[in-house]
Parts: sequence; structure tokens; C-alpha cells
Amino acid sequence: MELTRRQLLKLSGLGLGGVLYAACTFDLKENNVESPTLIPEDLVNGIDTWYATLCRECGAAEGLIVRVMEGRAKKVEGNPAYPLNAGKHGARCEAGLQALYHPDRLAGPIKRGENARGNGKFEAATWTEGLDAFTGALKQQQSNAASVVIVTGSLRGPSANLVQQFTAGYGARHMVFESVEQTVLGEAIKRVYGDVPLPHFDIANAQYILSFGADFLGSWLNPVAYGRQYGEFRQGANRKRGVLVQVEPRFSTTAASADEWVPVNPGTEGLLALSIAYVIANERLGDANGLTALGGTAALQAYAPGVVATATGASVEKIQRIAHEFAVAKPGLALGGGSAAAHTNGVFNLSAIYALNTLVGNTGKAGGVIMNPRAPAGVEAVAQAAPMAQWQKLVDDMNSGRVQALIVRGADPLYGLPAKLGFEAALAKVPLVVSFSGLMDDTAMFADWVLPEHTGFEDWGADVPLPGPGYQVVGVQQPVVREFFESQRTNDRGTRGFNDVLLTVAEGVGGKIAQAVPWKTNRDLVMDSARKLFALNRGSLKETDFNAFWIKLLANGGWWDQNAKASAPAASAFKLPAQAQNPEFQTSADTPLFLMPFESSLGDGRAAHLPWMQAAPDPVTTATWRTWVEINLGLAREKGIEEGDVVRVTSQFGEIEVLAVPHPAIPRNVVAVPMGGGHRNYGRYAQDRGANVNAILGPATDKDTGAFAWAATKVRIEKIGRRIQLPKMEGTVPLPEQLEHQQAILFTKPKS
Amino acid sequence: MITPRIPHKWGMVVDIDRCTGCQACVIACQAENNIPINTEDRYIQRRAIEWIRIERYWEGVEEAVKTGDPSLVKARFIPVLCQHCENAPCEPVCPVYATYHNNEGMNVQVYNRCIGTRYCANNCPYQVRFFNFFQPVWPESLYNQLNPHVTVRTRGIMEKCTFCIQRLRKVERKEVKEQKRISDAEFDSASGMYGPACVRACPTDTLVFGDLNDPNGRVAKMAKDERGYQMFDRLGTEPNVIYLKKVDLHASESAHE
Amino acid sequence: MQEPAPRKKVNWMMRAAVALSVVLTVVITLAVVPKILGHYFWSIEQWYRVTPVQPIAFPHPSHVQVDGIDCLFCHRSVATDAMASIPPVQQCMFCHKLVKTDSPEIQKLAKYASDNVPVEWIRVHRVPDHVHFVHEAHITFFTRRDNVAPSQVCATCHGDVGSMQQVKQVRSLRMGDCVDCHRQNNAPTDCAVCHY
Repeated sequence: MELTRRQLLKLSGLGLGGVLYAACTFDLKENNVESPTLIPEDLVNGIDTWYATLCRECGAAEGLIVRVMEGRAKKVEGNPAYPLNAGKHGARCEAGLQALYHPDRLAGPIKRGENARGNGKFEAATWTEGLDAFTGALKQQQSNAASVVIVTGSLRGPSANLVQQFTAGYGARHMVFESVEQTVLGEAIKRVYGDVPLPHFDIANAQYILSFGADFLGSWLNPVAYGRQYGEFRQGANRKRGVLVQVEPRFSTTAASADEWVPVNPGTEGLLALSIAYVIANERLGDANGLTALGGTAALQAYAPGVVATATGASVEKIQRIAHEFAVAKPGLALGGGSAAAHTNGVFNLSAIYALNTLVGNTGKAGGVIMNPRAPAGVEAVAQAAPMAQWQKLVDDMNSGRVQALIVRGADPLYGLPAKLGFEAALAKVPLVVSFSGLMDDTAMFADWVLPEHTGFEDWGADVPLPGPGYQVVGVQQPVVREFFESQRTNDRGTRGFNDVLLTVAEGVGGKIAQAVPWKTNRDLVMDSARKLFALNRGSLKETDFNAFWIKLLANGGWWDQNAKASAPAASAFKLPAQAQNPEFQTSADTPLFLMPFESSLGDGRAAHLPWMQAAPDPVTTATWRTWVEINLGLAREKGIEEGDVVRVTSQFGEIEVLAVPHPAIPRNVVAVPMGGGHRNYGRYAQDRGANVNAILGPATDKDTGAFAWAATKVRIEKIGRRIQLPKMEGTVPLPEQLEHQQAILFTKPKS
Repeated sequence: MITPRIPHKWGMVVDIDRCTGCQACVIACQAENNIPINTEDRYIQRRAIEWIRIERYWEGVEEAVKTGDPSLVKARFIPVLCQHCENAPCEPVCPVYATYHNNEGMNVQVYNRCIGTRYCANNCPYQVRFFNFFQPVWPESLYNQLNPHVTVRTRGIMEKCTFCIQRLRKVERKEVKEQKRISDAEFDSASGMYGPACVRACPTDTLVFGDLNDPNGRVAKMAKDERGYQMFDRLGTEPNVIYLKKVDLHASESAHE
Repeated sequence: MQEPAPRKKVNWMMRAAVALSVVLTVVITLAVVPKILGHYFWSIEQWYRVTPVQPIAFPHPSHVQVDGIDCLFCHRSVATDAMASIPPVQQCMFCHKLVKTDSPEIQKLAKYASDNVPVEWIRVHRVPDHVHFVHEAHITFFTRRDNVAPSQVCATCHGDVGSMQQVKQVRSLRMGDCVDCHRQNNAPTDCAVCHY
């Protein structure tokens, strides 16, 4: 068809008119209002309601309230009544909403079918099929029950109880996977204080905090609760401003907030602690009884500051000064964890650090280490994380065909275990792999069945925060919204709670296992625990009627008893070690740099699917979205490395490519890489983004516990010539200095 | 009887000695205010939107490089949000009066008036105004999270911190209904539901919000603290956000690179 | 003067295109022009605005005038929150399980209830997304000023809905309309009262 100029004008005018007309209207669907079919019990259309529940995004079990409007969760805030976080919450709790409404959530079970394992192709299936396959496998393996392995994330309270009874009733093995395990911390506490739960560290009332590797403001245990206390510690009313000293090879968030940062050589934290103990003991600054209990000055003779200064990298004057300040400022509090625990001498390090508390006699005192009571009956079950040595054994078992079925829930061992361990290859030898991940994670990619579970906002539960606030606390989790894929139920798809699935399967298998778990649903299980709390008839909730108790329990988000405190720990037989234990590193000839992996906003990688967390700037570098390596600024200048240069980080186990961030506050012999990048799947926001630092970590373990020593690998770095601009917050807006204003931050001296 | 609305002057106190840079406020703000996801591209293009952001300043960098002692370096955090200036540089430059100062001490951005000249962003010394260079889109399922009480801003207009005005409106309605002033104590994180999202989240209580007109209120008292200062006070913008100085054991009064 | 070259024969596609463009231009003019004019003059908008046909022909008169049901019985959150809210189907069914079960409209309703499908009503009153109208504040104000029950206030903006077989909009509800009323009642006219 030929067009004349006139026709072209006419036609284009027409088109323009069409566009204009279309632009004047809107999507007619927007003009509809849906009236729900059923009257929700307590919800009036248009009104926002707040429900109390627990945060399931990390292990800290913070109490939350969630704003729900018209059946959709809109906003998360801290539960003001909950003792631990008292109305405050962290970024990850907030991002739980994005886990609930994640665009890549599985809307129902999927099976591998005839596809090759690991190629990522799955077929849609129904719950009936999935449960049949699961139940069938359990029935078939009944005579060989130990070949069934259940891997879960950390579990406490009724969920731990259920899984433990299920595995015991069936005879299966249960292993708890945590990438950043607290095994070493637990063991050190056990040695110093006896067999007690993790104690409460009274940061709010401390005058001087000496923290070794414990990034308690960023990622260690419960950063929100510690953050709340830190605010008090700094500027609380009617108290002198506290002093924080952070001993850590890397400049963590806590180090950035500290008054003094002491970069020590990795793995020598224990040595430094003992040297501080030496000064305190020799100058009789501390608590005499504590010193006697720890074995007197004799044991400390090997740790004079002059002797250990070179090994630790802290000068004699610095050690002496810190020892004085720590002992004189009452109460002083010593914390240890994080990278200090992640060495081959982890228990040595941490027990030396916690012994400092005994030395200044702060146990059980305000501003010191306060023991936590055991959880009340009914919620006391705790499943301990399996140390790395056990994972090594599991991989061996899988390779030799001794594992017939692997059930994975709330954990991603394929991503989180060091690649060197060979978990991926071993997975191919397991006949049945079932994953309960609601989103395709790396392990789910290799599964035969993926049976997606509810998110925390759709399921029941109860948890005992660990560490507690010094008295008994039980948090209760309730579904704040109806399950997101409820409409899929008619097709026998949608999501289900893991506990509910276990109970259904137990019933299907029958026999001993069905007797072991006497509950009908997960709600019954939680209610059963609540009944035991009700029977205690003390603490924050006392009712004469269980129904009234249950309703208030859900409304309050939990139960706590401020009078249920722990008694002082029995005198411990712990003596300071006379012989130092030196850290060992996984190194070859040309790997001069210590590699410090660290938990960024993505945690150990479990938060990588959440766009808010990917986009949350790292506090110190302000980097987002990518995996980077922090390199000493002086070293980077010598090597000609600039920000955004792609750098290859090589250990003897492998190599990863990450973006360079020249960093003024990192020692020359250390590089640091955040955990959490490099997922092969895990939704659109995490897939193939960044690099997984676990790929280059050696499987070194702590000598005493077999726990994963993730900070014990040495590496080398080299520039590979490519450049990618680092996405970071810094520079998004011009700095005021550049705009010739004045300083944003002003300073003052502390009040004397 | 009809009670007239109680005149408020909303203000915030930011105690930077408490701030740890944890980003809880940043994410809380994005969740409450329907801020589009700051993807990697947005950061690279320097078009990321953060109504409240944590700025990090380095100190002693060159000295540390020279001596090889990284412990000489200090990092300082400061949360920066719209200062709600009494004498705001962004207001007089708007050709369409889309931004103005209201009688509650707030600097208001009227989305439906804004024509996107970006003069205000140019004139803001605090760099807290953000232009929507893109139409905000979310994957279908994430629309379920959006807050119905906050407008989703379209492409081509400016936006900035509102002090979570949707929550303040709720306070004011409650005041009219109950015919009494809601005390500052109710903004206190633990007991009220009204404070801005960032204040409610902040684990260390760095951010405190309230009514500067209430002489017995927490904020009015804290604003008179001897550590108090206004950011860039030389510019005479008279912000309603009061910062409390960082306490440093070693630095002299004005030491800052 | 040179004779103009014979015009190239226009093929049928051209003719069709031209005819179509003429038709479309007329249609667009009829559709767009009132829309633009209506933007400025409420009377014109009323002229072309179609009262929507709802999925169920719900008659307000028989509920309000005959049965004397209070507005707040169904629009439950109007005095407590921003939205007035539409009643859930279940609430209708409390009565209509027994009342008028033979009517075809009620059978439609019963089907929604038994299928567990929400009714998609079409909004009659709608303000743009950047306007935050809060029913509760207005009800509080007018009930106090005039010392009346909340349901006496609705008609101020919505007209006598009780007498409408099909609900239609009776006020422009444009900004000028809002501001006029705010001025008359000494209510705040600060932009940020509604726009945020």
C-alpha cells in the first residue's frame, strides 16, 4: 500500500487520537470494590488491625505486631509489650512482608519427575501426590529408618519438640543446619559458667564493654535487643556514658560505633584476653575470688603483654591501658563471638574472653553477665545445631548410599556449606530429596519434590528467644493473614505448614510414629504448649479459664515472667589455660591474606531473596546488591586497585570474582567478603547475583567442638581487568563538603 | 461542641551519639511510604530514593594510610531526612506552589500540584528531595504490601519525607474525637502507634518524634539539650529536626575533616 | 497551463482507511470533548456520566425506606475509619437465607455466597488516589455540630441514597466542591489535610 503525505498525516492523527482517548481512561478494574463473602471474626473492611506474632526472618525470635488491612499484611513493627525488643525492630523483620508477597513464591508442590536432577526443570504437582510420595518413602524405609535424614534450620519450642518426637518415633536422624553456628559460644559458656542457657548480657547497665569479634550491633545473636540496650548504654538517663571497645580484625558495624577499635590478628583474640587478664591479675585490679576460681596468677604467666604483643598486633601500652580501663570501670562487660569463635581455636578464644567477666566479678550483677533460666515446661525443647564435623559425616554417608531420603526444611545446606565439602555431588547419590522451601533455593533445585511451606506470617508457632532477657519469655506466633495461596487449595495446591505436613505424614505412616506425635494440627501443638504455660499460673498472664488465657496470649504475643530468674551458676571448675592454643589457617604458599567472611544485611544468605535487604546499604561501605571485597586502602593503592575493579579472590579451595572496595579501616593483612551472595536460584532478586564466599572456604573446624571455622581460610587477590560500577548509597547525593556547606556532624566531649 | 484542631509543631530530635547505622529506619520508611524498590540500576544511576538515609563519614583516612594503622580511622553515622525547615530554601523556588510550609511546622509536598521542575531539589542543601525518574512498578504480588494510606507517586514528580503525615492525621483525628491533646509520651516508641515509621523502628532510640509546642513533651525538652544543634545552621534554614552532637572521647570540639 | 496528471486510482484499502478515520474522528470527538468539558463543568459531566449497573440490582429504598435499616448497619466502619466499607455477602445472607429467596437477584447473591466468590461492585463515588478522604472525621464533625446520629450526615455528600433505586453521584466531589464546604465550615484548607 502506498501512502501519500496527506494520508500519512491523517493516519497519524488518528493514532494520536486513539492514544489520547486511551490515556484519558483508567483500568476499569480499579473502579471495582470487592465485598468479601464471609465476615471475618474481628475485621471490619477498611480498618487496619494489628496482630502480634513473632519474626521468623532470623533466629532471634523478636516480637512483632503486623498491620493487616483487608486481609493483607501491610507493615511490621516491634511488639511494644514484648520484653526483648520492646517495640523496636530491625530491617529484616520489616522485610518479612516481602517474603510473604514474594513474586517467585511457589504456589504449590512441584516434582522433578523425569527431568535430570539439578537442571531446574520441575512439573506442577498436587499435595496428594507429594504427600503420597513422602509417606510412601517413609513407609518403605521403615526397616532402615536411620537412612532418613531430616535437616532443619534452628528449632526451639513446640516445633523442636515435634521434630524430635517425629524423628525419635520413626528412628530417623535430625540435623540442624546453621551457616553461622553458635556451637562454639555455647561450649565456651558451658565451660565458664556450667551447663546453662546462653546468658543475658546487660549492655544497658554496663560502663565498659570489651567486645571480641561479637558484632552485636550488626549481626550477632539479637542485634535489635542489643541495639535497644546500646542506646541506653550511650545516652540513657541518669547514667554515665558507657565506653565500647571492639577487638576484631574487621571493621564491623559495632567497631564503627565503638569508641576504640583494636584490630588484632585473626584468631589471637583469646591470647589478647588472657593478656588483659594477666594485667588485671598481676595488678590486683579485679575480683580476688574470681581470680582464685580461675586458677590464680600462676596460670597467666605466659601471657604478659610484652610476650603476646607481637602475636596479637596490639601494643603493650594498649593492652595495659585497656586492662586498666576494663577493670576500673565497674561494671565492665566482656563479650566474645562472631569471627573470634570461627577459628580452629574458637573455644579457647571465647572461654578466655568470658573468663574476663569472672575476673572482674560481674556475673549475675547489673551491667554484667546475667544467667538465663531454662524455658518453662512445654516449650523447653531445643534442637542444637550440628557442627561441621557431623556434616562431613553426612556427606560421607550420602556418598556411600547410607542416606535414602533427605528432607530439608528452613535450611539451604547446598548454599551454606563450604563447597569443598562436596555436598552437591553427594546429593546426587540420595534417592529421594524433599525440600520444604517456599521459594526455589539452591538445595530445592536438586530436590525430587518441593513441598512449599507457609511463611512465618501464615503459620502457628511458639519460640523461646535465645538468649532471653534474664527471665522466662515465650513468644507466640500466629497467622496474621490467611495463607496467600488459599485460592489454590481447591486445586489441591497452595502452601502448607511444615509441622502440619509432618503430622499428616505421621498419621499416614501410622504405627509408632503416629503415637509419637499425638497432635492433629500444628495449632493443637502450639495450644498444647500454651496449656502448660496456663497451668503455671504465674507471670504476665494469669487466667482462670484456658480460652481467655489463649486469646490474651495471642493478643500479647507471648508470655513472660519477670520473676522467673535463674539462680547464680554453680561454681565452675574452669581454669585459665596455661598453654595458649594458636589458630591454624587453611593456607598454601601464595595466600598471604586472612579472609574474613561476615554477615551483611543478607545475613548468612537467607535474606538474599528480599529486595529491601538487597537494597539496604551496608552501614560501613554503603554498598548494595553486589558481593564485594574490602581491601586495605593503602594496599589497594599499591596494587592499583580501585573501587569497582573486579577482583579474583583465590584460596586453595577455589576462587570467586567480586568487586573491590578499597577500605581505609581494614588491616593490610585482612580482606573481608560479605556472606549472602551468589545464589544459583532463590528468586529473581538473588539469582546469579554476587558470589558465594562459601565456595572458597576450607572445611576447617574448631578443635574442641568440631564447629565450622569459617574465618580460618587465607587467600590472595588479583585484579582481572574488568570493571563494574559498585552500586552504593554513598555518592547518590553530593556530600555537603562538596557543596561548600559545613559539617553535618558536630562533636562534643563527654560530660565529666 | 466542636473543638478546634490543636496547633502542633511537629519536630524530631536525632541523637547521633546513639546511631549505629543499622538501616532499620531506612527500610521501615520504604515499607510505610510505598517507595519503589531501589534496584541496582537505580543506585548506579544515582537515582535511588531514600527519604531517610544514613550517611557515613570517614575521619583520619589519609593518616591511617600514611602510618599503616587502620585503627586511626573513625566512621561516623548520621541519619538525614527532610529537615522540615521553617525557612525552607525549596519553597520559594517552586513555580506552582507544590511545596510550602504548613501551620504544623511541616514542609509539605503536594504531589498533584507538582510539575517536576526539580528546582526544589536543586535548592535543598540537605539533598533530601527525590525526583521520580521512573514510573514505580512492583511485581504483581508485591502490590499487596503497599500502604493504602499513602499515595503512590507517579513518574515526573518530587517526593520527600512527610514525617509520616498519614499517621499524624490519625493522631489529630483522635484528638478531635477525644477532645484532648495526645501527649508526647504516646509518640514514645513503646506505647503509641503514631510516630513516623523510622522512629518506631529505630532500635537505639536515636530518633525521637513529637510536638515542639508541647513544653512538657519529650522532644521540646530534648531540643533544648546542650548537645543540640541544627544541621548547617549557618544557612539559616531553621530546621525542625534537631541533632544532638556526637560524643567523642578524644576529638576536640570541632575536629572533623 | 499544464493539465494536472490524472489522479492515481485509490484502491479499496485507502477508501476503507479514510472512511474509518472519519467515523473514528466523530466517535472520538463525541467521547473526548464532553470528558474534557466535564472536567471543568459538573453539569456537563452529569450529562454524560452513566450511573453504573451493579452486578446485583441492590435496591436501597426497600432496605432504607421500607425496612428502616440504619446506614451504619451495613457500612460499618464509616464512623470509625477512612472507608465506609461494603458489607460482606455473609451479612446479606443473614436475612436473605429466609427473606425473598425466590427473587432472581437474591438467587444471584446466594450463588456468590455458596461459591465463595466476592461480589465486584462498581464504585459510584471515587476520589483520585492522591486524595485521602476520611469518612470518620466528617461524621464526627457533623454529628457534633448538628447533634444528630451519624446516619443523618451521609446525605450531605451522597444525597438521599435511601430513595435511589440505582445509586448515583449527586455532588461533583471535585476539589472546588470540597474546598467550598471546608471554607463554609471553617475546616482547614491546608493542602496536606487531604493530599499526602
